[in-house]
Amino acid sequence: MRILHIGTDSFGGYGGIALYNRELIAALASHPAVDEVVVIPRIIVGEREPIPPKVTFVAEAARGRLAFLRAVRRVGSRFDLVICAHVNLLPAARLVTKHPLLMLYGIEAWKLLRDPISNRLLHGVRGVISISEITRERFIGWSHYDGPSQLLPNSIRTEWYGIRPKNRALVSRYHLDGKRVLLTLGRVVAAERYKGFDEVLEVLPDLDADVSYVIAGGGNDVPRLQRKAVRLGVADRVVFTGLFPEEEKADLYSLADVYVMPSRGEGFGFVFLEALACGVPVIASRLDGGREAVREGELGSLVDPTNPAEIRLAIIDALACVEKRIPAGLDYFSYANFERRTHAIIDQFAANA
Amino acid sequence: MFAYGSAAPPVDANEIDAITERMRPRGPDAGGTWISPDSRVALGSRRLAIIDLTDEGTQPMTDVDGELRIVFNGEIYNYRELRVRLQRLGARFHSMTDTEVLLQLYRHDGAAMVELLRGMFSFVIWDPRERRMFVARDPYGIKPLYIADDGQTFRTASTVKALLAGGRISREHDLAGMAGFWLMGSVPEPHTIYQSIRAVEAGTSFFVSERGIENARRYYSIASTFRRGVQDEAAARLVQPNVLLRELVTDSLCNHLVADVPVGAFLSSGIDSSALVALATEAAGEPPRTVTLRFEEFAGAPLDEAPLAERFARRIGSDHVTRLVTRDEFLADMPKLFDAMDQPTIDGTNTWFVSKAAAERGLKVAISGLGGDELFGSYPSFAALPRIVRAARLPFAASVAGRMGRSPKAKAAARFGGTWEGAYLLKRGLFLPDDLPSLMGADAAREGLERLSMLEHIAGAIEPDPGTAFGRVAALEASLYMRNQLLRDTDWASMAHSLEVRTPLVDATLLRQIAPLLMVEKSRCKQHFAKSPRNPLPEWLSGRQKTGFSVPLAEWAQLPADGTSTRMRSWARRVMEQWA
Repeated sequence: MRILHIGTDSFGGYGGIALYNRELIAALASHPAVDEVVVIPRIIVGEREPIPPKVTFVAEAARGRLAFLRAVRRVGSRFDLVICAHVNLLPAARLVTKHPLLMLYGIEAWKLLRDPISNRLLHGVRGVISISEITRERFIGWSHYDGPSQLLPNSIRTEWYGIRPKNRALVSRYHLDGKRVLLTLGRVVAAERYKGFDEVLEVLPDLDADVSYVIAGGGNDVPRLQRKAVRLGVADRVVFTGLFPEEEKADLYSLADVYVMPSRGEGFGFVFLEALACGVPVIASRLDGGREAVREGELGSLVDPTNPAEIRLAIIDALACVEKRIPAGLDYFSYANFERRTHAIIDQFAANA
Repeated sequence: MFAYGSAAPPVDANEIDAITERMRPRGPDAGGTWISPDSRVALGSRRLAIIDLTDEGTQPMTDVDGELRIVFNGEIYNYRELRVRLQRLGARFHSMTDTEVLLQLYRHDGAAMVELLRGMFSFVIWDPRERRMFVARDPYGIKPLYIADDGQTFRTASTVKALLAGGRISREHDLAGMAGFWLMGSVPEPHTIYQSIRAVEAGTSFFVSERGIENARRYYSIASTFRRGVQDEAAARLVQPNVLLRELVTDSLCNHLVADVPVGAFLSSGIDSSALVALATEAAGEPPRTVTLRFEEFAGAPLDEAPLAERFARRIGSDHVTRLVTRDEFLADMPKLFDAMDQPTIDGTNTWFVSKAAAERGLKVAISGLGGDELFGSYPSFAALPRIVRAARLPFAASVAGRMGRSPKAKAAARFGGTWEGAYLLKRGLFLPDDLPSLMGADAAREGLERLSMLEHIAGAIEPDPGTAFGRVAALEASLYMRNQLLRDTDWASMAHSLEVRTPLVDATLLRQIAPLLMVEKSRCKQHFAKSPRNPLPEWLSGRQKTGFSVPLAEWAQLPADGTSTRMRSWARRVMEQWA
């Protein structure tokens, strides 16, 4: 069986979708009936991770828009399954097949697409794979898509994380000695003011003075949040890390006593799985995919991001947890389960399955 | 009751019994009273059993330690998730009621507890350790709560008439409350029609200790919620509006469907009730039982809601009843209706009959689309108020009004129209301030208007400034007309039939969540709402010209002409005769 994966980024990519695609491609390739997975990436920004066996990675496709389209056209059509790993790539996938399997992650699928061709093409897809129920529901809500669909939530490799003591160098760098730490990790971008940074900042003045808030991530909205912290009188309790190296991520999570992200725009919220894999209690949002990442409250607390009192009390409750632990229920998102779900999807949707 | 002052006599068992007895129709299933061993505190309750129908739900209720005591009117829809949290924190329970969740929540979170509640409520918790009462009312003011505090004894009850039934409170009229009734058609909170009784303001809580009322706090403000909505617009732009509405309203609906008894629905031929019924059908997997009123006087006219409601009921397959109400029935019910009417109001007759019809069907709970017009901006005031304000602020507005001279409306427009509060008074006013001397007498009108300070009172509803014209009108309508008239009338008119009306579109959590979308989409939200069910409302329903939920009062009560099409001024006079 041959599978074609047309995606934005995967190997050599940065961020959540790239990571998800790498895991997906590896899981596709490990299916016993799969002979080859051809991957056509739209972009490569960094050093490429090792390519799994049976995967053909067409790196030259990432040289530009024309190179990408040329690569898609040249790849041929003898595939048992074509995965279109982003709604915006539907016109490109159409060059190979009328009936790709469409992947949905989050906000890109929450409202009518700008491109009318893509809006039309999505009614021809063979099936839809969504990272979360909320994304599937929101997608079906506007598109009226009525074909088959499956959920494939993120996976977490818990062995890459684990409970570890607070890294003294980071504690010292961010002046967090003796502090209890709240953490949110994400891009701090003005156009994405739905991550929940504002909501946590706003309750900080009502929390004990030894509670600090670390905003881990860079972006053009940092100056506004810094001014807001000053206005709220908590500037000395808020740390902006800016962009941080990937290898520091597990240590950053381990700095935290509570991971809190009362967001409204997460398709799933992989960061919750990472925090949980470090044994950090998490607080997620009821109003986006975060609630699925914490399995409707089984793995962490849920709050309404519009209710400051609920956020504040959930933080107080979570700070009272004295011992870090990795919840057993996190196994639901293990790579083994992800791989099993991926294989079931291949069995359901591949042409000769 | 709390005899908190050193000079206060002990609480009187007869008084608490009389107050509780007056509430019997509101809670026919059970009742109880409790008096503290030192006779300083008395609590009484009547129960309409809806959640946990066992005797464990009887009030006044104590916590599992037998220490805290509560009387509670209303429903806490998110009590199950609050209970899970409290159990995780070590709380123990002896019942499955929402009432007991309130007790444990108070123990754990103190006064902040009110900010975690989703529901309609008023309650009193007696905390013997601190020797104080905690008193709270829901954010929108769906459930009423009145207090009388003479500086020695604090009394509180769900209705004005119950407080009076105790026999210890003066019946002297409040001129400000009366003036408010003539101006608006209902008595504006916190005034009541009696000087010694005041309404607990919506979205507030306070303690009563041996020093009296203290630590009063407003924990929810509709105006602030709209203002915040402007800041959070980015979140609203992420999702298709009708899809976001479906998600958020369905969540509210699912909360409002929590009950251990069947839940029915009022169905008109409007978008709000129809979309709610459609969404409730999707959420529950089967349609609720539905009820519509029909009046012979409206037959064939646009005000006749029965034909379209029946057509929609057939479409969704609900077990539907169209209940005919005649003038004879109205005349026969009038004494009971006026007895149940807690304070003078020109509205409530419609809810009286639709609640009666629902109760006849054996329903204890009904969903209503009330609040949809305030939320989605479908009153004419949403277009009219900004126009009035703009026009009155034009440099030549005063001279135009001067040339129109004799028209009272034109004079009033020039006088009031330049501000949002003035424009609202003009638009919503039943009578204008200049009419009041002829209704109340010159001295009483002057004193009443002065104490009422109606314009300042209205302006309070848009403080802080919601930030947009839509937000201002929505905050005004929800904080004034809906609270003082629609919600209050729905409470007395439904509870008189032992029916609990639930209003999924009047939900503080929903408003917080939906405010950014309202700020972006404004009055377009109504049509988005019509498209929110998976099977959107049909064009013959969503495209229908809006009409109010009216009854043919003018014909039934043979009201004389009064310069209005509805003859509500004449009806107001008839109503006020009951309080003479």
